[in-house]
Amino acid sequence: MIEVKDLSKDYIILKRKPGLSGAIRSLFIREKEIKQAVDHISFEIKPGEVVGYIGPNGAGKSTTIKMLCGILTPSHGEIRVNGVVPYQNRKQNAINIGAVYGQRTQLFWDIPVRESYELLRHIYEIPKNDFEARMKHFTEYLNLGPILDIPVRQLSLGQKMRCELAASFLHNPAVVFLDEPTIGLDVAVKENIRKFIREMNHLYGTTVILTTHDMEDIEQLCQRIIIIDNGSILYDGDLVAVKERFGHQRTIHFEMPQTDHFKLPASLESTVDVAEITESRVSLLFSSRDIKGAEVIAIMMAEYEVNDLTIKDTSIETIVKEIYERGI
Amino acid sequence: MVRYMKLYWHFFAAQVKVMTEYWVDFIIGFMSVFFIQFTSVYFIKVVFDHIDVLNGWTFYEILFIYGIASTGRSIHQIFFDNLWLVGRDYIRTGNFDRLLIRPLNPLFHLIADKVQQDGVGNLVLGTILLGISMNHLAFDWGFWDIVLLIVMVISSGLIYSGINLFFVTFSFWMVDSFPLMQTAFNVSQFARYPLTIYSKPIRIILTWVVPYGFTSFYPATLFTGHKNYTTLALITPAVAAIICVIAYGFWIIGLRAYTSTGN
Repeated sequence: MIEVKDLSKDYIILKRKPGLSGAIRSLFIREKEIKQAVDHISFEIKPGEVVGYIGPNGAGKSTTIKMLCGILTPSHGEIRVNGVVPYQNRKQNAINIGAVYGQRTQLFWDIPVRESYELLRHIYEIPKNDFEARMKHFTEYLNLGPILDIPVRQLSLGQKMRCELAASFLHNPAVVFLDEPTIGLDVAVKENIRKFIREMNHLYGTTVILTTHDMEDIEQLCQRIIIIDNGSILYDGDLVAVKERFGHQRTIHFEMPQTDHFKLPASLESTVDVAEITESRVSLLFSSRDIKGAEVIAIMMAEYEVNDLTIKDTSIETIVKEIYERGI
Repeated sequence: MVRYMKLYWHFFAAQVKVMTEYWVDFIIGFMSVFFIQFTSVYFIKVVFDHIDVLNGWTFYEILFIYGIASTGRSIHQIFFDNLWLVGRDYIRTGNFDRLLIRPLNPLFHLIADKVQQDGVGNLVLGTILLGISMNHLAFDWGFWDIVLLIVMVISSGLIYSGINLFFVTFSFWMVDSFPLMQTAFNVSQFARYPLTIYSKPIRIILTWVVPYGFTSFYPATLFTGHKNYTTLALITPAVAAIICVIAYGFWIIGLRAYTSTGN
């Protein structure tokens, strides 16, 4: 469905010297720097796969997706989406793809949602019967009924995202790109959205590429993940392997009045790492297979005065950092 | 082409529907544009209360020029108004990408995205001015003259839009070329009066550099007693076509720059 071979994208960045004098100087003398946003990556995605495309901010995710959508022309390498080269045949490609950008709307700002969908029907030339059947299905599944007559600009974030999602699947595209579809949403809406994506994938065999910072999204939706950082692929494969390796990791942040003389209690030494010490906080990292979180907390509370604590699951950022430092 | 026309109709209808729901907005927009233009016209009237002829042009001839300019401008304003916002609302925010993932010509999508109701004020005022002045011109109006006048008005609208398109294209490199567009557009204010009142350099600029002269003055000479400009007047539709082709070509170059650099 998607073939990417040796794909690169370079940006030319104009370097600026700091300060006003630097800004004025840069009007006349410009130093150019080439940044490789995407650096010779290759992968292949089969029809019906749901792939998590993850990495820290600025890793090259959006650049890759823009190239797959035909918005950006690659500097080097080959892309095929459903047999079409996106940047050469942008309009043909557009029929095959759907996209949701968590931060921006694809819909028509001033127009009621229902009318937006009507326009999309004409833009994508969707047969009326298919359109109505899908609309009925989507309305039910995403609970769009009460919001169809409201202009997009008046919708809440959660409502908007549900509408966006329906819009991206409306023309039954072969591939859908979802760029942080759950960002800023509450748990119920997140759940609703994930269910919908799973359903679409089952029902129509839609291939889905998902970028997200939410581990829940990945765990619930993807069989496979591609981790990218600094424009290169760090890992491409089964989610299970990554979860085995990192899924049990927990971080606990202890808020403490005094951290100057902090020393890891002897009973924790074999199983727990100190991730970070700041003036008022100690962060401990451990695997829930080696030791229970409750035990770590109990030992810490016995030895030190603790004001507050927070438990964190592994974030994508930590995983990427870990892979960097230790490999998979 | 037929597909795009049908599609435009759907875009248009959806927006008119919204306008009818917010009809107070419509009235306010309409009235404000109408009155802004009306004060300019009234000023001309005041000037002509003190003189009979301005450099060989009578009050109604100038009103006629003004009428063509207003109706032509209204075509630009009603249908192509979104061009103004390419930098601010599309490129700067990244919303331009939205136009690129649709199976449509992005320029079409951009233009169809907005129907500017305020332009109706210009259209109504322009039509009234044309109606009044035509009755007072020493010209025998036949059916084909009216057709010719309509062709000229449409050409005028296309020239406004083409020049606007040309200058907005710079947004692909400089994020928002609004000041450039504004500057170019302000030049068009000159073209609402007979070009003969200006010095030669300004006439040359308005004819061959930013050809706003063709948006009202040259076409108007066809229907008034001023016969020295017939050739220039008759090539108005060709000028409109050339401007649009050049501007569109430039737009394509800009678009290519955008897709190779992103933003």
